[in-house]
Amino acid sequence: MKDLKHLKYFEDLLQEANNELVTQAKAEGKKCVAYVCENTPEPLLNLDGIFSARLRAPRTSSMEMATYYLTSFLCEYSRALLERAIEGGYNFADCLIAPDGCTMINRAAENMELLHTMDAGKPHFFYEHMEIPMKADDNGLNLYVLQCQNHILKPLHEKFGIDVSDAAIRKAVEEHNKVCRLIRAMGEYRKLDNPTISGYEFAVFTLASYAAPKYLIMDKLEETVEELKTREPDEKNPYRVRVVFAGSELDDPDFVKLVETTGAYVCADRYCYGSFPGRDPIELTDDEDALPQICRQYMYRGQCPRYMDPPKMLGRRDYLDKLAKEYKADGIIYEQVKFCDPWAYERMIGSHVLHDDYGYQVLSIDRPYNASGVGQLRTRVQAFVESLEIKKIQGGAK
Amino acid sequence: MAKAKRIGTENLGRFYTEGKVRNRREWRGLADTAYDYSRWLYNWFNMARIVLVKPRNIKAMFRYRWMGNYLAVPMMVDRHTQGLRGEHLRICHAEQDIIIEDVAKLLDKLFRADRRIGNDTEFNKKVVLIDENAMQSVMMGFPGIVPLSREIASTYIPVLLNQRAALHYIDIAQEYGLAGDVCPMPEAEAGLVIDDDAPIVGCCAIQCNTTCDGSLMGNGVVYKRLTEEGIPTHQLAVPLRHREDDVQEYAAQEIRNAIAFIEEHTGEKWDWAHYFECAKRVNFATRSRLEWMEMSKTPYPQVFGSNLALYTETNYMVVNGRIPLFNEADKKISALAQKAYEKKKLVANEYRHRAIIWGVQSHYYMDFLVWLLNCWGIIPLTDMLSMVSTKIIAEEDTPENREQAIYDIAWLTENMLMRNRTHGGYKVLLDELWEFVEEFNADMVILWEHMSCKALDGMHGQFEEKAREKGIHLVWVSHDLFDPRVISRQGVRDQINSYMRTVMREEPVDPSLEVLTDEESW
Repeated sequence: MKDLKHLKYFEDLLQEANNELVTQAKAEGKKCVAYVCENTPEPLLNLDGIFSARLRAPRTSSMEMATYYLTSFLCEYSRALLERAIEGGYNFADCLIAPDGCTMINRAAENMELLHTMDAGKPHFFYEHMEIPMKADDNGLNLYVLQCQNHILKPLHEKFGIDVSDAAIRKAVEEHNKVCRLIRAMGEYRKLDNPTISGYEFAVFTLASYAAPKYLIMDKLEETVEELKTREPDEKNPYRVRVVFAGSELDDPDFVKLVETTGAYVCADRYCYGSFPGRDPIELTDDEDALPQICRQYMYRGQCPRYMDPPKMLGRRDYLDKLAKEYKADGIIYEQVKFCDPWAYERMIGSHVLHDDYGYQVLSIDRPYNASGVGQLRTRVQAFVESLEIKKIQGGAK
Repeated sequence: MAKAKRIGTENLGRFYTEGKVRNRREWRGLADTAYDYSRWLYNWFNMARIVLVKPRNIKAMFRYRWMGNYLAVPMMVDRHTQGLRGEHLRICHAEQDIIIEDVAKLLDKLFRADRRIGNDTEFNKKVVLIDENAMQSVMMGFPGIVPLSREIASTYIPVLLNQRAALHYIDIAQEYGLAGDVCPMPEAEAGLVIDDDAPIVGCCAIQCNTTCDGSLMGNGVVYKRLTEEGIPTHQLAVPLRHREDDVQEYAAQEIRNAIAFIEEHTGEKWDWAHYFECAKRVNFATRSRLEWMEMSKTPYPQVFGSNLALYTETNYMVVNGRIPLFNEADKKISALAQKAYEKKKLVANEYRHRAIIWGVQSHYYMDFLVWLLNCWGIIPLTDMLSMVSTKIIAEEDTPENREQAIYDIAWLTENMLMRNRTHGGYKVLLDELWEFVEEFNADMVILWEHMSCKALDGMHGQFEEKAREKGIHLVWVSHDLFDPRVISRQGVRDQINSYMRTVMREEPVDPSLEVLTDEESW
């Protein structure tokens, strides 16, 4: 296929947490709200005068300082973030909002605070740690709303004078939804038998929507959607099988590339920083304030394994089943960043349930934070692709 | 620092063999040896009376592989009484013996209810299965209900008895696909249900997200098994940032929901009169614990170490004022401690250092604190798991207090031991440690580094920096909680030995304890 016009631009953008669009937004006088977990309602961080940047640590190599503070038993994601923070890589941030999504991220964020990694010379800087519900129900919703009021909206208003009214929140949701719809529109092409966007390309655009100010990428996303309408696929489909890629935090599209170079097309992405469910538009009605509606949708759609109630536990596997059906997947790859407790369990049980109860072929892997030096992983994915192919050839049950 | 001469045995290391048990009992002088032996007999008698005389329990011994570990109960007590004399020996037995009786009763009830063993269906209608990591405070208003934890009986206690008790279940979980870097406690519990080696009991179950991410997620595996067993299950969500005002209403509502669930499935109604009776006993236990802590701040601490930790675990977390006998034990311990305190008695031959024990202790080496005292003269003044809530809860039955009571239950549940430090932000784990160091006049911190406890690991560097800043000796002791294959008991000891020799430049008080042959021991 012909290269997408803006792919290289977005690839370059993702090489730095402090990318050129973050710099541009800051130069325009906006405050940057850094955050670390998919359970943080994004529109609240993109009100007028602020923009969100979900922290990542691209091109991480050594994590020695963070390993001293966190030991080598914490996941590389939390260590990479702390390392980058200690290096001064997040000095662009004007505050940090960190839900207690998991212990490791909580400790990384607390170390950032204790070590004053981002607040030097910024009198209004604040670190906020917030509680988020563990069950999706009315009680959880009340908690979620209260926490967003106390730990996001209140400090944003008090420290930066941000308008946190219902009208302002609705406007932010509208902007947020524009990006979501563009990402969704791109993702639709993944349903084609001979898809016109690769899983890797899609991952790059999706990731950029978390890592860069949304209003500054909108035009390029729109252009890309237009471009995809007429993009011709390769004559021969280069992929041998289709897989859903599911699991923990993953902010390196090179993993998706690695999978695709083995002949498996990543037709759906259900991981933190992926588009499911993170790029579902938020539908608002007029009969209730926007904040509880946002929280409700985040809570009910969330696929984070920290949700412990049975509808959510069982729903996570159902969700993957639906994705696999909708995107015509032959198999599922469950991934987990090493030392991640929540996904260690979810991966174990999910891979059995999806195989035994839903009949999918499942590859279950743990991986390092970034994709350099993952030859073993490639071998495992290759073997998985071959097993899926053999199954197809033999016409066995799915 | 202070010195005293205890009667009898000089070198405790000489009792160790290369096998499972010691070569003989310790000589403590006539009175204490006779007393200790009588308690040894008493514990056997109690276990036989409650458990072994019933054929169904014998059947359970052959059905469940973890049951064999209970034969090591008397030896566990012996490990915790090493070197003790007089009042201290009696305090230890007051703590240990009541725990043993309570556990024996737990086993008996479990097998009475177990569909595979006793299958007492009427009894089962009043049994609620409780997550091992849940405070049982939510049961304080249900006198007619029998709360049972199968994980306590099958994984938690067996590792205290036999260091290798959980290895089979850990391996099972890993064979099933669980990563090997998670905490081995929920991992073993997951292995237990994967292996279908837990009694099937209860008309319903309560799970809880208490200690850590691993424990929270392990519940998912257990839930799958409970569903297959047809046991309706409720998840009690407890907020992590438990010191914040803006989570308390959420926590209280979760308690209301859990009570409603139990009422629905057992047909029992919440009994306020019983609740407030229990609340009075909870407060009594709290006041007793505070008294013991006050003594530990003086040069003559009396109630401390692993016995305090085990007793607090049971009394604070499981009993919650529901068993009056524990208040009697509290009184007895306080009286003995006061007597010893007035006489300025020392627990060991020599006191050299005063230490706060922090972090999550090794389960397979719970008697390490006894060793610390006897080998190096380090007094384990208090430990993280004993530093639980000291709040006095509402205990008079008034309309206002009935509302307050829900918040009190929520508070206790949020402040389950360990999770009250591992969750709630760095202040409760990091900052409060240094406050305790000052309060207790400690010169040393022994910091258990449970390798796969992410909450503790995540503050590693901060602990070191603060200790340096404050000039406190901080000694790391790594272990893997349930798995001695990763770091053995001697591996644990060696970390102290090398610090004491190279940094402190000291010789041990009892050199026979420095290296022990307990690799194969229970």
